[in-house]
This record gives sequence, C-alpha cells and structure tokens, in this order.
Amino acid sequence: MTVVVRAESVNKSFKAGNRALDDVSFTVRHGEVLVVMGPSGSGKSTLIRTFNGLESIDSGSLEVVGIPLDSDHDERQIRRIRRRVGMVFQQFNLFPHLTILQNITLAPIQVKSIPKLQAERRAHALLDQMGIADQALKYPAQLSGGQQQRVAIARALALDPELMLFDEPTSALDPERVKEVLDAMRQLAADGMTMVVVTHELGFAREVADRVLFMDAGRIVELTDAEEFFTHAKEERSQRFLNQMAH
Amino acid sequence: MRHFRRHPVQACFSVVLLGCIAWAIWSTGFWLVQQAEWSVVSGNLPLFAVGGYPEASRWRPILWLALLVLLTGFTLAQPFLLQRLRLNSTMLSWSWLLMMPLGLWLLAGGGVLAPVPSRLWGGLVLTLLLTLFSGLIALPLGILLALGRCSELTTARLLSKIYIDGMRAVPLIAVLFFGQLLLPLFLPVQIEINRVFRAVVAFALFAAAYVAEDLRGGLQAVSPTQIEAAAALGLGPWQIQRLVILPQALRIAVPALTNQAVGLLQNTSLMAILGLVELLGISQSLLANPAYIGRHLEVYVWLAALYWLFCTAMALMARQFERQDPSNLIAARRS
Repeated sequence: MTVVVRAESVNKSFKAGNRALDDVSFTVRHGEVLVVMGPSGSGKSTLIRTFNGLESIDSGSLEVVGIPLDSDHDERQIRRIRRRVGMVFQQFNLFPHLTILQNITLAPIQVKSIPKLQAERRAHALLDQMGIADQALKYPAQLSGGQQQRVAIARALALDPELMLFDEPTSALDPERVKEVLDAMRQLAADGMTMVVVTHELGFAREVADRVLFMDAGRIVELTDAEEFFTHAKEERSQRFLNQMAH
Repeated sequence: MRHFRRHPVQACFSVVLLGCIAWAIWSTGFWLVQQAEWSVVSGNLPLFAVGGYPEASRWRPILWLALLVLLTGFTLAQPFLLQRLRLNSTMLSWSWLLMMPLGLWLLAGGGVLAPVPSRLWGGLVLTLLLTLFSGLIALPLGILLALGRCSELTTARLLSKIYIDGMRAVPLIAVLFFGQLLLPLFLPVQIEINRVFRAVVAFALFAAAYVAEDLRGGLQAVSPTQIEAAAALGLGPWQIQRLVILPQALRIAVPALTNQAVGLLQNTSLMAILGLVELLGISQSLLANPAYIGRHLEVYVWLAALYWLFCTAMALMARQFERQDPSNLIAARRS
C-alpha cells in the first residue's frame, strides 16, 4: 500500500518553549480517511497545514505525495505539492470577487494551464457532484455557508488532488448546514479519496474514518483504528476527551 | 405645532432661519433670472467648450465631447439598457479606454486630420483631457507604488515610501510649476516637450501617491486567509496579487478613488495659473476682454455649474459601479 504522507519526528513551535508539534511521526496511506481529533490548541490544524507548506517545520522531515519537505521550506517543492493536494478551510475562503465557476476554474487555468472551456466543463461536473449545479454563476456572498463550503470542496477537487486536507470544515456552519457538507465528504471518501480531516464531528469520524489520530499539546497521544478508538480508546487522555464530547 | 408652542425660543429661531433661506433662494433666483447678463456665457459657448481651437476643425473636439457625454449617459443608464441593447460592462470599459487614443487623435490630428498644436487646445475639452489622461496614468502607477509599499522587499518598500511621502509633502502647485517651468530649464534646448503632456505627467505623478495610499488601505482590508487559500491552490506570489488580492483591494478602494478622481478634475483648474487655457483659463481670458468687464459673477457661476455637473456625473458612475458590484465587496464595507 503506498504512502501519501510520511512524517518523521516533525517539530514546530511558534514561540520558544511552546511546542505546537512535538516529535510527530506517522503515515497516511493511499485511499484512507484519517480523522485528526483533540482539544483546541493541540496542534491539529498546525499539523495538516504543514502538509502543504502553509506552516513551515522547525525540524524533522515530511514527505507528501512523494515530494520531500523539510525545515528549509523550499518554495518550488511546496508549489509542486500544492498542485496535488487540495485543502478546505474552516472559513471557506472563497474569492468573493469571482463567481462560483471562476472560483473553481481559477487554479486549473492559471496553475495547470488547462483550457478555459475544459476547466469549466469539469467545474460544472464538480458542482453537480456537490449538488449545487445551479449556483455556478452566483457570487460567494449569495450562497449559504453550507453551499460555500461545498464550492470550496469543488474548488480543491478541480486540481484532481491525490490528497484532500480538511481543516475543521463544518465548525463555522449553522447546525442544519453541517449535514450537507458531511454528506459531500462521505461521498468523496466512498470514491476512494485519501483524506485527512480535522474535525469535532464524532458521528462522521466514527462512520467514515479508517483511523483516528488523537493529539494533545502537540503530541500524538493515540493513532488507532477508528472502530477501536471509539469503543475502547487505550489512553486515559483520549477516554476523557471522548467522555466530554459525549456530554 | 405642539412642539413649537412648548418651545417658543426654538420656534422663533426656526422662523428666522426659514426666512433667511427663503430670502436666499428668492434673491439668488432673482439674480439668475433678472439681473444676470448671460450673454457672456451664451455668446461664448464654443470658447468654453474648445478654447482657441481653430474654427475649421472645431468639430473634432466637439465630437469627442459629444462622444464622452454619450458614453457617460450609456454608463449611467446601463442598468435599464442592459437587457435591451445587450450592452455589457466589458464593452463599456473598452469604450472608455478607447476614448483616450480617439480623443488624442481628434485633438492633435494626424493621418487624415490636419495637425493642431497643443497650445491651441483649451476649454472644457482640455480640462477633461487632463483629468482622464492623468487619471489613467496615475492608476497603474499608484498600483505599483501600493504594491511596493506593501512588499516584503526592503528596497521596494523604502523607495515607494520615500516617493509617496515626498509627493504628499509637496503642494500640487509646486509639482505643476516644476513640470511647466523648471523641467524645460534642465532639458537640452532641442528637446521640447509638449506643455499639455508635461501637465498630464505632473498631475499623474502627484495623484499616483494618493492613489497608492488609498489602495494600501484596500490591500490591508483583504483578509490574509485569502492569500492562504490562493497559495494552497498552487498559485504563485504574483498570480495571488494579480488575480486575488488586487481585484478585491481595488473594489474596496472605489469610494476613496472616486474622491481622488473628483479632486483631480477640480485640480486641473490650477493649470490656469500656469497658462493653460482650460475651463478656468479660458474664463479668465474672456473676462479680460473689455466687452465683458464686470461679468465675473456670471462666468464663475457658470463655471461652478459645469464643474458640479461633471463631478456629479463621475460620482454617480462610481456609485453605480458600487451598487452593481455583484460580489458585494464594496457594499459590505459601506454598511
């Protein structure tokens, strides 16, 4: 089974003495859905942001979609990775001055030099897949949060990524909008996409995740099969977290 | 009425104030209709429009003026005409850009048109020419300066900052003086740069500093997460600026840039002091004519009306642009 992300003793700190990532080592396998959980400030977001170079690392080494990335933060390597790794943010971060269609076709046209018509055809197909085919010519401000987040997923998919990163994709949504985004992600997982998802959605994690990575204070506390994590988590810290989430 | 009975002082004050306003309106109206001698204006309309432009070729600047007014009308009526005429905003933008070379060609001549030296240009046409061209040059220059000012490169940032701060510390009239009177002294005698061109460049260099500062506000208002989102898609630093940041910053800066454009139009009147016969210049030379002695008020009221008309047209077009902006970027900041 091929490895999509390999992290070896990755360290990162924002302030001296305060470790955001503390000796993190693990791998993400092709086609798997890895859910990253943990209390806020535990380094979950920082971790997945190092995968596409949005955060640099202080020491250790990373290999993402076969491209090595270490503490010297080489821009060329990072851009090669970014073309092949999609990311979805908590706050959607759509480009407000562009239509939905333009949001999705921007990167394919500019980064991959795909002809406009072809990029648009693909964008329409992706919007259809996300269940918002009729929104193509609107602007982000005219869409609901759930719709915007689905556009953001379509935008990331437009580059045909080998890995999708989700940074708390449902945390900024109204409760009744969460399901439509999670459904889109479920479908993506069912299609065999390799996904790393930072989320607090226990139901989603239990149902879709292959493995769960539980973090606290920048360290990996536990990395196990999802089934096992939710039924009998080994570590006391994970048990406490799950107990609190359940209430 | 109950309010007035309870507050007699306020009531008195209101009555006096209303009386003053009524008197002002009545006397102004009386002057406009009865006392003013409008012949100084009505007899010299072509002069106000085109200045001392040779009579045989007057149709050229007047045609340009007419086209400008027509285009302004189309732009303002766009929401109503959009469906009926299949006009779209891209076509309008291109038409506006096209007006520049067209105006220059109509005024200066060349090809099939007889050449007319720039010292004969004047009046409203010259005012609009100065405004449009210096605005057109100041905008890209201001964008470059703003990008430099926000750049991570220390040299670029420092140079932009020195330029912007320097330009803003100098009064416009000094910059214009430099362009008109001092620049020719420094240049060899053989090189003679057209006076209108020198004025346009001086205005543009001056306005660019202010445009840069307006844009810097826009650039800073664009959320850093936009840069992250664009970077995560694999876009390079220049693509991010050009495709994601600048378009948003420009939209956010529209109200401030409108201010600059209106100010620019009014500031062109400073060129009258330096001998260009634009609107104010032509009015002054008219007033020097013994036939029109003492007609200052009429001429200046007429001038004020003209400036008001063109500034209002500009402001209306900008407001319409804001209202039409489908991304709501401008409206979002306004509310």
